[in-house]
Amino acid sequence: MKKKHNNNIITLFYVPALVLFLIFVVYPFIEGIRISFTNWNGYSQNYTYVGAKNYLRLFQDKNVRTALINTLIYGIGSTFLQNVIGLLYAVFLDSKFRGRTFVRTIIYLPVMIAPLVMGYIMYFLVQYDSGAINDILAYFGRPPVDWMNSGPRAVIIMTLINSLQFVGISMVIYMAGLQGISRVYYEAASIDGVSRLQAFRNITLPLLTPAITSAVIINLIGGLKLFDIIMALTMGGPGYSSHSLSTLITNQYFRSQNAGYSAAMGVGTFLLIMLISNLAMHYFDKKEVYS
Amino acid sequence: MIIMKKLLSVLLTLTLVGSLCIGCSKAPEDNGSTSETKTSKSDSDKDGTTLTFVQHMSGVITDELQAVLDEFKAETGITVELSSPGSDIEEVMKTRMASNTLPDLWTTHGWSVARYGEYLRPMNDQAFVEHIVPSIKDLITGPDGNIYVLPIDADICGISYNATVLEEAGVDPESILTWEDFEVACEKIKAIGKVPLFFDGKDPLAFGQFFDFVAPTLYTNDEENNQREQFLDGSFDWEKWREVCEILERWTANGYLNTDALTADYMTACQSLGSGDAAFMLRNANVIVEAWTTNPDAKLGILPIPGKDSDNSRCVIGGERLAVGVWKDSPYIEEALQLIEYLSQPEVCSRLATVAGMPAGLDTAESDTGKLEPYYERVMSDDILTIPYFDREYLPSGMWDDLCVTGASIVAGNEGAIDDTIDQMRQSYEDKMAQK
Repeated sequence: MKKKHNNNIITLFYVPALVLFLIFVVYPFIEGIRISFTNWNGYSQNYTYVGAKNYLRLFQDKNVRTALINTLIYGIGSTFLQNVIGLLYAVFLDSKFRGRTFVRTIIYLPVMIAPLVMGYIMYFLVQYDSGAINDILAYFGRPPVDWMNSGPRAVIIMTLINSLQFVGISMVIYMAGLQGISRVYYEAASIDGVSRLQAFRNITLPLLTPAITSAVIINLIGGLKLFDIIMALTMGGPGYSSHSLSTLITNQYFRSQNAGYSAAMGVGTFLLIMLISNLAMHYFDKKEVYS
Repeated sequence: MIIMKKLLSVLLTLTLVGSLCIGCSKAPEDNGSTSETKTSKSDSDKDGTTLTFVQHMSGVITDELQAVLDEFKAETGITVELSSPGSDIEEVMKTRMASNTLPDLWTTHGWSVARYGEYLRPMNDQAFVEHIVPSIKDLITGPDGNIYVLPIDADICGISYNATVLEEAGVDPESILTWEDFEVACEKIKAIGKVPLFFDGKDPLAFGQFFDFVAPTLYTNDEENNQREQFLDGSFDWEKWREVCEILERWTANGYLNTDALTADYMTACQSLGSGDAAFMLRNANVIVEAWTTNPDAKLGILPIPGKDSDNSRCVIGGERLAVGVWKDSPYIEEALQLIEYLSQPEVCSRLATVAGMPAGLDTAESDTGKLEPYYERVMSDDILTIPYFDREYLPSGMWDDLCVTGASIVAGNEGAIDDTIDQMRQSYEDKMAQK
């Protein structure tokens, strides 16, 4: 009886968070769905319901297709790079050596920089006129390159920048995962004459699956919603060629004054992120091994 | 466990996208809900009144405006809370319009009639109206004859150029009467190894400016043969838009643009103009003022926009810039009008226009535009047309971005860029007209 009473009190503590969640997430989301069926321009007091027109347009719009492909590259590309590099860093830093804490801090440091600031810093690296990379090329007698003037190249560069900025998160997750693996397994494997590479493949990786699940989902969502770096470096250009769905939604809402269409894109993006993150979770659930 | 994870996944995605959808907006309300204008407080209550004022400019003008508002407070006891969102003004104002919670006063950055007209109190009964300079009076007058803003300065926008580069290339700026002459000049400039035309395309508004400069000369300036009505009533054949796109494509192919036309930023552009690396920029005198900060000795000037052919005269683009309007539903209308009256005083208006580096918007005020004065006098002479910004006058609100982005696609050399541009302009025009 007392336990039930305690549970009720504990449930009460959820209420403030739930109320905030309903006001700031659920209500705007439902409103977003409603607006997606209108031709609202984003500020006028008048609008008309247009049925599923905005959703049908999503399938015909070349710019949405480009933004969708870019979003997948930002999301999957960043996830791949952050996890591979993050795991390598974690394995490297799992061994004891002088200056380990310093190296860990340096790798994690960019995570604390606002992505917009990171974008502006990187602009000085890749800009055509007086950019650091072009200055290095000039030193070796090579002509300068306008790195961001091609959409596909800009997408790759921004994926790399995003990956390098947030690789510290994966590193920390993997370091925590590695520290949770008992040394007993390695000792037993060593007695059986297992090489370090075999031990990594057959002991470390399977036991790291919970950490991989967390890191992949966090990185995937971060990559799929990439926004600030794009705004700082290309503003989605040239044309629409480096837009992600997030930046295209903002562009359509505020600059093109297509709030209804933008809301339809938002709903589409929600479904996409939900689908991809669920698929990833489902995949890793099957792989999970507990030590 | 799995259910919890799925729930977690749904919540995460909801959080991410919910804010993107409409997090910053409020649903539009019915027209009938517009509140009536409330009465203002009596004079004795004015101490303690705070007006909200949103303005779009940045740099020294912001400091000067704040100083003027402080003096206004010392004189009247009315506090003015100045907010300067800079380039985010569009987002800020659209969000506030959506929720119908506008500031008491704001600068209209070129949109006093087409976008903000329905939210602003007409100023026709104010004393300053009869002193608005003729070059912009028509441009800020709505179809109903209403003027909604106090124009502190007048935007006069022509082609900014570096006179030293033109001299070196043997180009007389006064000889550039048509776009053909302009292209001849570009060839000569290219021949001496300089960049004829600099675009700071990192922000694609540079390409929107191209259309604002060139499109009127092709479609709307000619008194006898123009497409003005067609643009306004929606019957314009967008296939004709190909002509202006082809000019941009030709200039790109001919190498008149800087190599980094798609990625250069504004400061790089100003430096290039100031240092003499580039000859022309399709921008107003702001770039010149900025270029002088990097090279004070640079010989820079303003050129009228060439005509389509020798039968068409040259033009400059005019309009509002630092123009202040009052929200028609403001609870402090009387106080806001008091501020408008204060700002329209010749000495205050002169101060602000001088700092803005533009001619004053009222004939009672005089702006010291310094080294640019002879150029302003020249481009405001009778043989030069003053035209409105093309997109503000002939395109529905919201199409500016289409001009910017499609221009960038053409310069990027994307396959089928011109066809795509025509399709996008047509589609966007129809969408925007349907929103009205």
